[in-house]
Amino acid sequence: MNSSTDRKSSHAVGQGSRRDILRRAANGFGAIALQHLLASHAPAVQEANPLQAKPSHFSARADSVIFIFNVGAPSSMDTFDPKPILNRRAGEPMPESFGLVGGQFTDGSNPILGTPWQFRRYGQSGLPVSELFPNLARHVDEICFVRSFATRSVVHAPAMYEVHNGRLFATHPSIGSWVTYGLGSETENLPAYVVMPQPEGTPEGGTSCWSQGFLPSVYQGTLLRPGPNPILHLKRPEGVTGGRQRAMLDLLQAMNEMDAGEFDSEMHARIAAYELAFRMQSHAPEAVDLSKESESTKRSYGLDQERTREFGTRLLLARRLVERGVRFIQIYSGGGPLSMQWDAHKHLKANHEKMAGHSDQPVAALLDDLKQRGLLERTLVIWGAEFGRLPTSESGNGRDHNPHGFTMWFAGGGVQGGQSIGETDEFGLRAVEKPFNMRDFHATILHALGLDQNRLWYLHNGRHEKLTDFGGTVIESMFA
Amino acid sequence: MGGFPGVLTSILEGVSRALLLRVGACAACAAILAAASDAVAVEPTRPESRYWAFRAPEPAVGPHTAAEWARTELDAYVLEGLNGKQLAPSPDASKARLLRRVSLDLTGLPPTPEQTERFLNDDSPDAYVQLVDSLLASPHYGERWAQKWLDVVRFADTNGFESDAYRPHAWRYRDYVVQSFNEDKPFDRFVLEQVAGDELFPGDPVALVATGFHAAGPRHVIGGNQDKEEARQETVTEMALGVGQALLGLTVQCARCHDHKFDPITQKDYYQLEAFFGATDLKDVPLVDEQQAVEYEKRLTKHEEILKPLKSRLKEIEAPFNKVVRERKRGALEPDFENALQIPKQDRDEKQARLAKEAESQIKPVWYEILPLMPRDVKRRRAVLRSQLHEFELRRPDPAPAAFAVENLKEPPGTFILQGGDHRRKGARVVAGVPAILGPQVFDAPEGSDGRRSALARWLVSPGNPLTARVMVNRIWEFRMGRGLMSDPNNFGVLGGMPSHPELLDALAIRFMHGGWSVKAMDRLLVLSSAYRQSSDIDAKKIAEDPDNRLYWRADRRRLSAEAIRDSALAASGRLNRSVSGKPVRIPIEPEVYDLIFTEAEPDNLWPVTPDVFQHDRRTLYLLNKRTVRLPFLANFDQPDAMTSCSIRQTSTHALQSLSLLNSDFMLGQSRSLAERLLAECGDEGSDCLISRAFHLTLARHPSSVEQRLARQFLKSHPDALQDFSLALLNRNEFVYRP
Repeated sequence: MNSSTDRKSSHAVGQGSRRDILRRAANGFGAIALQHLLASHAPAVQEANPLQAKPSHFSARADSVIFIFNVGAPSSMDTFDPKPILNRRAGEPMPESFGLVGGQFTDGSNPILGTPWQFRRYGQSGLPVSELFPNLARHVDEICFVRSFATRSVVHAPAMYEVHNGRLFATHPSIGSWVTYGLGSETENLPAYVVMPQPEGTPEGGTSCWSQGFLPSVYQGTLLRPGPNPILHLKRPEGVTGGRQRAMLDLLQAMNEMDAGEFDSEMHARIAAYELAFRMQSHAPEAVDLSKESESTKRSYGLDQERTREFGTRLLLARRLVERGVRFIQIYSGGGPLSMQWDAHKHLKANHEKMAGHSDQPVAALLDDLKQRGLLERTLVIWGAEFGRLPTSESGNGRDHNPHGFTMWFAGGGVQGGQSIGETDEFGLRAVEKPFNMRDFHATILHALGLDQNRLWYLHNGRHEKLTDFGGTVIESMFA
Repeated sequence: MGGFPGVLTSILEGVSRALLLRVGACAACAAILAAASDAVAVEPTRPESRYWAFRAPEPAVGPHTAAEWARTELDAYVLEGLNGKQLAPSPDASKARLLRRVSLDLTGLPPTPEQTERFLNDDSPDAYVQLVDSLLASPHYGERWAQKWLDVVRFADTNGFESDAYRPHAWRYRDYVVQSFNEDKPFDRFVLEQVAGDELFPGDPVALVATGFHAAGPRHVIGGNQDKEEARQETVTEMALGVGQALLGLTVQCARCHDHKFDPITQKDYYQLEAFFGATDLKDVPLVDEQQAVEYEKRLTKHEEILKPLKSRLKEIEAPFNKVVRERKRGALEPDFENALQIPKQDRDEKQARLAKEAESQIKPVWYEILPLMPRDVKRRRAVLRSQLHEFELRRPDPAPAAFAVENLKEPPGTFILQGGDHRRKGARVVAGVPAILGPQVFDAPEGSDGRRSALARWLVSPGNPLTARVMVNRIWEFRMGRGLMSDPNNFGVLGGMPSHPELLDALAIRFMHGGWSVKAMDRLLVLSSAYRQSSDIDAKKIAEDPDNRLYWRADRRRLSAEAIRDSALAASGRLNRSVSGKPVRIPIEPEVYDLIFTEAEPDNLWPVTPDVFQHDRRTLYLLNKRTVRLPFLANFDQPDAMTSCSIRQTSTHALQSLSLLNSDFMLGQSRSLAERLLAECGDEGSDCLISRAFHLTLARHPSSVEQRLARQFLKSHPDALQDFSLALLNRNEFVYRP
């Protein structure tokens, strides 16, 4: 992929941006200083390929991210953050001292709902995991649980936007776009930022969840689907062979060369983009072709079973993409109709058993597979959602949304596994020990990738926009 | 240029390096501001010491030049800037290039073959002037401007967020903008109408529709427990942002949570600006009288009558399966809920009533529960019925016309300074006023419901306001010349930097105001200038001296906008439907895109395509702009997402664009149509005619001899070569760039 002269952009990593901030700085001092400064650093007109791999700000722990987002929000107290008091007090109201804390549909006055699942301790660390994730549980020594995240909305879409872009609105670039903007791509033949939603539908936040916002479209999340036509418009029109398209491209490129002067970097970038597009037509299908995977690998991801096949396929693809240098993979468990989301307003037990049933084995297999191939060390795997669920009941057997305290977990990418950070209160209602917000979440991910949250910015409508806005706290203790 | 004192240079260097390496952006700029405090006075009471952008532009004697090159007064300014760097302007672009450039710039469309013919064969000295005047008179001129203005006000046809509901009347605002630019409505009037048309011109439907300006941005509308005050706050914030960015060119949003770090705008200033909208509510206001409304209502009722039999047959089919599901779910109810249901309605106490209500919603069958129970033939019958229903829905009569507009609240709540922008942390109460740096300390705005926005609107276009005219002439300049005199048209604050030609900016602003705020006159001045007419060829020496072309030593070659690329392809293929105005059009979308439309309901009929296929070839401006459904072809070419104001289009270059242009159904269709058009127009005249015609239709010029040779060879290569040749031309750099 290739470059353009992006006049508005100011990325604190490269030369061009430096020029830009100097220009802006110097305007305050007077134009003479500016001219002088710029003259001594006048770079060539051709600017770098915007997707060229860029050095991180400091030494990175991870090169790639696989972010598994669980749409609709799994319950923390039923998965990774056991609260034994819930079963003892089931049916009773929450103690008055907690106040009435409702969700989107309940007002907090409903009785406490016990958890239908047993917890057991696993691994050397002895961290607890509920029966919902028996396979994943084997990996607790590689996982760092952070039990004290909070978002700022009880409603799905705004909370999802906050997890993806730090704001309650879809006004800002998603983290995948920021990371791609900051680090570029390590693959020339595939998109750098790939998105794989649930086939039944998107999350409530829609495509805005992976929007590049005001960043140039080159940093967009590219939808990737399993099957022979993984990327939109990748397939040649019916009846057009590769040879025929090549002949047409040869004519096109001959004419494009005529249009491109020596200094015209944009024209040359366009010529390169066509060559890349042509190559992508063979590389992308190869990347999603699972026929070369061994039977045992496919089995481990659950491709041989109805309930795990679909999600297992996408996670296996995620591994293949990481292998091929894709920078950021955003993958959704759940989406579309309520029956395909973790949004257990009623029938918590049936809902979570179904959704965990889809994902437990594949996620465990992904961690295994990445580890076996030596990829886990440099791949940050994140498991999270827009919020958790309330300790009180809804519809007698479900739980409403709870943004005040919930768990996400991290593995690989320099993460010190076998630990949990932060705590919710004894009912799992609020984060009380080491509470973290989404700015902290984002700062930590950037940190793992060697990016300084304050040096990754972009000038938009007169503001130096950053993923973490006023800044977040890196959760240092997460890393080894 | 003389050397700058070495010591100071190294200090500056050191500062900037420190900024880049150690501190965040906000802090960085604060440091710059602190260091630059001498240059940037923030004292509001002494106008002469204010930052340049906050002082009213003053008439001054412009530079004089005897140079023949300068055709207009603005060229003298440009030439002066170039002379300062010992640079010479570039020679005029060729006629063919100029034709394509000015046509794309003023109308967003390539010239028609007739225009090309006429202009290239017209050797009279005023041929170009005539061309420009005909383009300014074209109805497509307003469409081109509308795209720009709608970018700035972040217009779309839906609310955004998860439900992303359609705004059935929003398109009238879009048409209002097209119409206003077409009739060269004075810009001050345009501002008055948009900001306070309802108050200033009561009874004028045009002015009412104009207030859709305040409603253009995204809006979060959902069910469940909602904080009404928070939602209200979001609405008012969007209104203040709209005025701040589109008309004042200020980053007022920075002062929502804290005093502005770089500009002399306090948090109080910001909330005073919000107070202008403290009484303003978004509303669809009827544009017809009650009697007419009844007629519309009747038509809708009639439509419902037609649907009734279909709906009841659907219900019949589903009934037995609904019953099964309902009973199954009732059997699984928690005892409390079941008990509540069993109590007769009138005997339930409050808690039981609530439980019963919840129970009802719990046992309600959902589509994905009944479908698996249906035998295949039943399922098929149901699907047929549903698609018939959807067919009928396409013919649903329009609702009674309404303005997507605003209305004043009878009892407006107070406006308060909010700590950290949080509506729960109210500080002092404020009344409407403009930022102190820009106007009188006490702003005379009414405190009641009516008249606040009128006061704001009047001030916005008053001679005392330094920004509105400057910001608009800079937008016009950026639109035509490719780069603003101020590089960020939405930021005239300190961080926006200094204009490249400050005197020119002020001269244009004064000319604009004194000349009746005519956008067309300003456009005409610009495109007739020598600066505009320059060749876009790159000169090695000049590019080394001024790589960003800040001094305008050449014209910029610019990638067309997403819309212009699509429209140009339609124009070249001959399929473009040039009708102006009307309801938004839904064109077919790729299944991959359809699948991304969020719904919890049965996912059919989420994108009811406009039945009249002729509409599918309308200009892109008229395509339905749904905030959460981006059309990939357009998104790939940097169409903004309508979530925030977009003052300058991005131009990124990447492989997904190439894939869209090579393989999409749209481009396949255009290349086919172009090939057919060529065959039809050339008849039996053979390949030279095809080639020459193809170049005229796509690039508005004759092919060179090399191009002719290449094309001849290619056309002989295989039976579908003409279509591929057409596709190649539509993909060509020259085609997607303004020359």
